[in-house]
Amino acid sequence: MSIKLQNVNFIYGIGTGKEKQALKNINIEINNGEFIGLAGHTGSGKSTLVQLLNGLERATGGEIFYNGKNIYDKSYNMRNLRSKVGLVFQYPEHQLFETTVINDVQFGPKNLGLPQLEVELRSFNALKMAGIDDSLLDVSPFALSGGQKRRVAIAGVLAMQPEVLVLDEPAAGLDPAGRDEILGLLKKLHDENNTTIILVSHSMEDIAAYVDRLLVMNQGEIVLDGSPEKVFQFEKELEKIGLGIPQPAKVIHQLKEAGADIKGTPVTVSESVESIYKWLKET
Amino acid sequence: MIRDITIGQYYATESIIHKLDPRVKVVCTFAYIISLFCFNQLSGYIIAALFFWCITKLSKVPFKFIVRGIKPILFMLVFTALLNLFWTSGEHILIKYGVITITAEGVKRTIFMALRLVFLIIGSSLMTLATTPNQLTDAIEKLLRPLNKLKVPVHEVAMMMSIALRFIPILVEETDKIMKAQLARGADFESGNIFHRIKSMAPIIIPLFVSAARRATDLALAMDARCYNGGEGRTKMKPLKYKKQDIIAYLIMLLYITVIIIAGKYLPF
Ligand SMILES: Nc1ncnc2c1ncn2[C@@H]1O[C@H](COP(=O)(O)OP(=O)(O)OP(=O)(O)O)[C@@H](O)[C@H]1O
Ligand SMILES: [Mg+2]
Repeated sequence: MSIKLQNVNFIYGIGTGKEKQALKNINIEINNGEFIGLAGHTGSGKSTLVQLLNGLERATGGEIFYNGKNIYDKSYNMRNLRSKVGLVFQYPEHQLFETTVINDVQFGPKNLGLPQLEVELRSFNALKMAGIDDSLLDVSPFALSGGQKRRVAIAGVLAMQPEVLVLDEPAAGLDPAGRDEILGLLKKLHDENNTTIILVSHSMEDIAAYVDRLLVMNQGEIVLDGSPEKVFQFEKELEKIGLGIPQPAKVIHQLKEAGADIKGTPVTVSESVESIYKWLKET
Repeated sequence: MIRDITIGQYYATESIIHKLDPRVKVVCTFAYIISLFCFNQLSGYIIAALFFWCITKLSKVPFKFIVRGIKPILFMLVFTALLNLFWTSGEHILIKYGVITITAEGVKRTIFMALRLVFLIIGSSLMTLATTPNQLTDAIEKLLRPLNKLKVPVHEVAMMMSIALRFIPILVEETDKIMKAQLARGADFESGNIFHRIKSMAPIIIPLFVSAARRATDLALAMDARCYNGGEGRTKMKPLKYKKQDIIAYLIMLLYITVIIIAGKYLPF
């Protein structure tokens, strides 16, 4: 079970005189059960890439395989693919339309043709997981705050229980506590249901602690691919493309450069504190 | 998908036509359209086509862009052509079958009428392709300024027009994004009967309206914050000014009109 992209290219506006190559020769394989972070500066092609994954945009070159089947085959069922690969868009305003929050979340599972009871069950569960208070269920989604809208949008896709969950900047517009809550929820989904998760963010700092694998994009290309520890070794390269490495990793780097003998490559604050503490003890 | 809509689209390049004063382009397009009705024989169409071809070459807009403008009105074109074909009476009857009679005059008129419509449309699409919407409204505002004396709010109308034009691509883009977001949630816009399909549009229309309303409020606020209060005493950052090239363009247009009127009067075919 995997998603495989082979020499994928994508060009916007073919034949309009304003062509813009948004993706260049992407070759990646996403395995079942991975928790992936997709980072890159503004306009590097992250949103474009994730829209290819569930067939909303069609690659202008190359192939995409989902579980070994080419999704561009004529006989391939795109709607089925979209129910398997759930995508939460960058802006929740683009999907909220119903009169109440609960109705809106039910839209997805209803489209899957599930029985009403199942639809309701999934929707309530999804809303609970996304951290929406019961008192908001009958409120108009347009009357919510930005962060609440985002949670409802996430719940709307969660309720479809996709095998692969792709989220485009899910933490934008949330306060730090809300961000940790949502990312923690994704972690839980990943650990408990073995859902494959792809998390798009331009801030590696936010996601480093959660993901097992980081993909870094620059101008339509994947330039780095590996565990956060490995990716953060390339501090200079990352800075060159406008991405900084997280503060704790930076501190460790500088200490090491100054001659400190710190073991390992910690990523999060607590890991860093621990390794610095260890090093201090030893010396 | 929906992004293919190209109404009022501007084709950015550097050309003499692009650099002309927008008023010249508006007036000349208008004159060109009128000129299409000043003749009724083949030579006129040939001159009109040649003239158009030269302008197109000068504008550096690829021909296929101009032709694209015809697509949306293809239905109307065929419809008027058929009306002309069947309802023109004349002496030289070509086909008579029941109530249907097709005359030689009818055929001629159908072809000429269709040609006129096509020239009319490609002529105006060339203008919109070579003029930014802002320039266009500037030109219209300036050209209609005399109506101010009749208490017509020319500036306000022009402002509304330019805002509307400015919003078309934004809303098209927005529609595209909303459609994708709903498709990702398993929405289906294609199957089912007509009522079903209309109902399935709600998930697109509602977010679109909400967003349009929000954008309009934001824009109004932003304009207010910058003390916009209508056209009175308002100056332009780039006032329109005729240059030498504009005068030349007017003269060329005048020459074309003269030629076509003379051709219409004196050429036999
Ligand atoms: N609909 C479109 N038409 C034309 N070009 C587009 C369109 N959408 C995106 N692009 C271009 O493609 C490139 C990649 O855009 P994309 O939205 O994938 O970037 P991103 O990495 O998601 O950026 P951000 O972090 O700002 O969301 C950008 O240069 C953008 O200008
Ligand atoms: Mg994006």
